[in-house]
Amino acid sequence: MSADNQQAIRQWLDRQREQRTMQDWITDVGPFAMLFILSGLFAATTTQFLTYGNLVDNVAKNSAVLLLVALAGTFPILQQSIDLSVESTVTLTGVLTVVLISQFQLGLLAIPLAVGAGMLAGLVNGLVFTKLKVPSFLVTLGTLSILMGFALIITGGSTITFRDQALRGIATGTWIPGIPNLVMWGLLIYGGTVFLAWRTKFGRYCFALGENERVVELSGAKVDRYKIYPFVLSGLLCGTAGVLLTLRISSASPNIAGGLMLPSIAAVVMGGTALTGGVGGPHRTILGVLVIAVLQNGMNLLSINPFVQEIILGVVVVSAVALSIDREKIDVVK
Amino acid sequence: MSNTETVPSETEEQMNDALTVDTTTPSFRVEGISKSFRHVQALSNVSLEINRGEVVGLVGENGAGKSTLLNIVTGVLQPDGGTLYVDGDPVEFTNPRDAADYGVSLVHQEQDVITNFRGYENLYLGREIERGGVLDRNQMREEAQAFVEDLGLKLDVDEFVSNYSFNERQMLEIAKAFHVSQKSDNPVILLDEPTAGLEEAGREILFDLVNDLRDRATFVFVSHELDEVLDISDRIYVLKDGELVDETTASAATQDSLQQSMVGRETADEYYRVSEQRTEEALGTEMFRVDDLTVGEEIGPLSFSVRKGEIFGIVGVEGSGKERLGRALAGDLGMTDGTISVDGTPVTEPSVSKMVDSGVGYIPKDRKSEGLLLYQPVRINVSLAMIRNMNGKFPLLNLDAEDKATERVIEELNVKTPGPEALVHGLSGGNQQKVVIGRWLAQETPILVMDNVTRGIDVGAKEEVYRLCRELTDSGVSIVFIGDELPEVIGMSNRIAVMNSGQFVDEPFDASAGNKPTEEKLIQEMI
Repeated sequence: MSADNQQAIRQWLDRQREQRTMQDWITDVGPFAMLFILSGLFAATTTQFLTYGNLVDNVAKNSAVLLLVALAGTFPILQQSIDLSVESTVTLTGVLTVVLISQFQLGLLAIPLAVGAGMLAGLVNGLVFTKLKVPSFLVTLGTLSILMGFALIITGGSTITFRDQALRGIATGTWIPGIPNLVMWGLLIYGGTVFLAWRTKFGRYCFALGENERVVELSGAKVDRYKIYPFVLSGLLCGTAGVLLTLRISSASPNIAGGLMLPSIAAVVMGGTALTGGVGGPHRTILGVLVIAVLQNGMNLLSINPFVQEIILGVVVVSAVALSIDREKIDVVK
Repeated sequence: MSNTETVPSETEEQMNDALTVDTTTPSFRVEGISKSFRHVQALSNVSLEINRGEVVGLVGENGAGKSTLLNIVTGVLQPDGGTLYVDGDPVEFTNPRDAADYGVSLVHQEQDVITNFRGYENLYLGREIERGGVLDRNQMREEAQAFVEDLGLKLDVDEFVSNYSFNERQMLEIAKAFHVSQKSDNPVILLDEPTAGLEEAGREILFDLVNDLRDRATFVFVSHELDEVLDISDRIYVLKDGELVDETTASAATQDSLQQSMVGRETADEYYRVSEQRTEEALGTEMFRVDDLTVGEEIGPLSFSVRKGEIFGIVGVEGSGKERLGRALAGDLGMTDGTISVDGTPVTEPSVSKMVDSGVGYIPKDRKSEGLLLYQPVRINVSLAMIRNMNGKFPLLNLDAEDKATERVIEELNVKTPGPEALVHGLSGGNQQKVVIGRWLAQETPILVMDNVTRGIDVGAKEEVYRLCRELTDSGVSIVFIGDELPEVIGMSNRIAVMNSGQFVDEPFDASAGNKPTEEKLIQEMI
């Protein structure tokens, strides 16, 4: 490379550095900073926050399900669509788990069947989205209602339970000393999704589709297929979340997953996956999940009125998302 | 209160100022204008003046800086240095509205009218007359009709623009330019490639219109159709590589003399490396064959074949179907009939995936919207096509192979990037285009369909792309070279097909070295 080039490149790099705006910093460092500040705040105001019991048994265990659902939401968002049906998928698979265990006596087999039902829901979302060309937020808003309807019919609107201590152990046990199973599953699946995002063709196309679908199409990729996969994966992860949630409390009801949607999407965006697609990734989503989990835990420790907690959570989520959006890349917000 | 009531007082002031102006002062002048985008100097120290009542031609090749200059004088872009003067007074335009207030406005190449609005609604767009917050349609319609008639235009302003002919839309745009410049008694109207897409008769109408309106406005005629510029202009400026290289009266210039100034010292043969063009004997077997390709009513049936190492040029006016033919060859446009064969094997039901599988890569005209993932690194852009086949069935990425391919592309194509992880967004147009080409090079695609591969890149980068095309053909790649720039297609191609109304007009022209057809010959068939 000539000296001329090197000169030009050096200048270019300098300019890039100058142009690295406050925005980039907030997106990159924001979630860490927030986690740090919240933890500091709660460590100072409560005695329990910084205890092993609280951090593992409350924060980590309670955030495992949110983590799975947020990871589920990450991939559709990464490719610039969105899955709003996560809440219902979790609910329905949870309900199915109970029915399959208690009424059909299927035991362990109930788990893959319930997860499969979640994947099927995702597949339907993906097919309607790509083949009928209905915007994903609309399709999934529809399935949000449909799946919830199924859950309500199956349960008759009330809580249903099962009794099987061995199966419960999958979620409530501790197979690796010091790490509750729920946390272990969460971390394993987290690792899996990060691997999918960075080391597979599927992941690569998610990022690429989120940036510009035409370019991917003209490169020869079978675009429709790769637009469906994220929804199937979302169904799989939501199904897993539904199963774990149900096994943990050995019951399911139509509102077991109530209120998961907002925090899960918020976690994705706070982590750094833009709603405009193409940037971020599941590796970052865990940060958003931790911020929300710590916030909820801290508020509980401080005995803040649960109704007020809802308000605080909403305000924090919207502010965090507003801060982390890179407005330069967005022309029109709809 | 209606808008019109507030305007006259200002207009009168302007008019009074204008009346006192010394008529020898140029009505519009730019001095020492410079502008750069990243490391591309788009304009350096350009000065020119336009006198009242003149028609001034501005010519230059694509990338010479014409658009940048137009954007600066109409306030879309701000210059890095230099000053604009209106009637001798320095002015600063921060947006097109400022420019219009001083009487400077642009008639866009791609028509800037809203087709589902009526004529008068377009004319008043953004300046609607309201009465008590409600649009006063009657007043607008009447005033608009009077306004266009005053200009001598035969337009029904109450008609929807979608029912206008191409010419009528252009007239409406010119009327709009006068309309937004009402504060000036002699507006400067910039016509950007106004004849693109016009038939011969339409051209006559436009030229008559410009001649008729000469005493009411000053026109700047921007085009690369040299004969037209000579025809209509009084004086001509020539831009090359962002510099003003020539200023001449139209009567003293010829097409050749303008061409000379536009292209500069190099002859076309050197520029397009014609000496490196493969001779007929050096071409290999037939690699790409199209039989009776038909796309609905628009294209075909047409047939041609391209040999190994050959560049097959396709030219045609806007709307001739050449761009859509390119898309059909890429599998992006469903064929209704015909076959495409690669190396003797027909491709069944071509889709983009199947064409890519068969070894045909497409380089679209619009690099930014269809060619590149702008906010992804060079590496991901380069490997985008090759990852399809990585490691057979198990869809794992081979990151090693990806890194190697990226390094190779950066090295061989001389992509000026800080590194493989730099975002494509930050590269210059030429380097971005090299990344697009590199994507196909990375997976050794034997057939490339290029649509205006040098569009919007600077001259240095163009030369590199030409060199690259020669190198590719030397290694046996076949290229279908679709282009708007006739000299470029003539210079690069072994054979050239002229497209008109979706068909090839005649047998392709032979364009072997020393036997290149002239632009006139092609144009005759194009129209």
